[in-house]
Amino acid sequence: MENTTPGTDATRFAFRDDRSRGARIAWQARIFGAYFVQFLKMRLAYRVDFVIDTLAVLFSLVIQLAVLGVMFSKVRALDGWTYPQVLFIYGFSLVPLGLFNLISVNLYGFADEYLVGGRFDRVLLRPVGSLAQVIFESFNVSGLSEIALGLAIMAGAGLKLGADFGVTDLLALLVLAPGAALVYLGVFLGITTVSFWFEDKMGLAPPVYNLIRFSRYPITIYSLPVRVFLTFVLPFAWVAFYPAAWFVGGERFGKVALLTPLVGVLVFGGAALLWRRGVRNYVSTGS
Amino acid sequence: MNAGAAVTAGLAPWRRTRLASLGLYGHFIRLAFLKFLAYRLRYYTGVISYTVFVAGHYYLYLALYAGRAADGLGATVGGLTVREMITYVAVSWIGRSLYFNNISRDLARMVSEGEIAMHLIKPFHLQSVMMAEAVGEAGFRLVMFTVPIMLVVAPVFHVGAPAGAAALLWTLVSFTLSLVIYSQMGFLVGCLAFAMKNIQGVLRAQMVGMDFLTGVIVPFTFFPAWFQAAVNWLPFQCISYVPVMIYLGKRTGPALVSGILLQVAWAVGLTVAARLIWRQATRRVTVQGG
Repeated sequence: MENTTPGTDATRFAFRDDRSRGARIAWQARIFGAYFVQFLKMRLAYRVDFVIDTLAVLFSLVIQLAVLGVMFSKVRALDGWTYPQVLFIYGFSLVPLGLFNLISVNLYGFADEYLVGGRFDRVLLRPVGSLAQVIFESFNVSGLSEIALGLAIMAGAGLKLGADFGVTDLLALLVLAPGAALVYLGVFLGITTVSFWFEDKMGLAPPVYNLIRFSRYPITIYSLPVRVFLTFVLPFAWVAFYPAAWFVGGERFGKVALLTPLVGVLVFGGAALLWRRGVRNYVSTGS
Repeated sequence: MNAGAAVTAGLAPWRRTRLASLGLYGHFIRLAFLKFLAYRLRYYTGVISYTVFVAGHYYLYLALYAGRAADGLGATVGGLTVREMITYVAVSWIGRSLYFNNISRDLARMVSEGEIAMHLIKPFHLQSVMMAEAVGEAGFRLVMFTVPIMLVVAPVFHVGAPAGAAALLWTLVSFTLSLVIYSQMGFLVGCLAFAMKNIQGVLRAQMVGMDFLTGVIVPFTFFPAWFQAAVNWLPFQCISYVPVMIYLGKRTGPALVSGILLQVAWAVGLTVAARLIWRQATRRVTVQGG
């Protein structure tokens, strides 16, 4: 292919088939980096919106902390879990949730905007993976606030616990949080992918999304069927409780936490395979 | 101009009798009911959502009361036993399934997309139309949503019966008033879109804050005294806390009367406030494109 267009962007982002696999991945990463920068520029044009969005995140956080605080003003421990422990799990839960929220906006409107609206044709014409394009075409910057606030709450709860976190714990966080975010991404990608085959008239995502808020509590408070359901069927126990147990779960759950990345890869991998089949099944609406 | 007005005087839809007005807005009630009936499939999964909400809080409160028992603390928290607490949670969510609507979001969308211009030139008051539609939606919700949720939730979580026949009746009256208060508050929030370019953040805050401030998630008696004093002055408690307490028989006699009167006062007050603000806001509307 000849590419005579001048300018750095044109050469930097030009598609070349002769690249090695590594160079191709780096090239794709550069493209998605550029997507993000572009999106930030767009968002920064409306700075007030960003401030308001952040305030909304902060507001929801204050409320949830108030609920936790009030609960623990009436009881010393929930099924043996103390306030700082539950607080820590809550703080942890915000990090993968923030990571997921950052990139998940397009999944919700996918059926309407991409499949019915015809934007998916454009995606398929480009020489970059279709799933990555859809995910990285829009961001929700308030996810960043959630991550920051989550880390702050974890630090605060850690201090209250008098926990002695070291480098291993930091490394664990760097593996566990993205692993948990993959679980979110896999579950909601799976739901989104269904729309390749049939129109989702029922709205499958909202009830699943509503379940998230209860995944932040120690799952031992739930009955056995609910625990089994959250561990194996709709694996939301892996988005907060199990990974956070590495830090506060002690003997009983500390080791289970390490399975989180594996669960994340499995759930996301399954959803990605489904996506691939869906793309093959895709017929344009022509609009 | 005068000649034109004379010709159309016979058709002038803004000059109508009270009965005709009633018919007009009644028509919107019916239309809203039918519109939501077309989307009824979405409410099947909604039943699951509400069951999840009740279930989550059910386990949470069971653990809380069990934790207190283990520490030898009292069996009531904020004046509620564990059975009453479960009933509180269930009735709160069942009520919410009835009065909930998206007036704020719908109005905000109309304003920011410019569709509002088309409504302003029509011979009706949008506030009344949206209230009528909220009634139609609530009618649909009652039959297709609230009753199914009740049928699932009540046996599964052993929800307690109402304190008596009168309490049940007054709970229904009270939740009907909740619908008016909730809708008018939504209308007021939606009016903010006239002043702000983007009210997504406000809508998010409303969505998150509402269930907390209305008492759906935690009853106010759990909170410190200063917080309870503060919510007494706000309209939110009239949306959920008041009707649920009536159901539980915690508001009887004079407290019942004052609760209902307070609801009526807020319903009227917010409707009037919304009408005044609407009048101000629509004086200068800038529609870009549309």
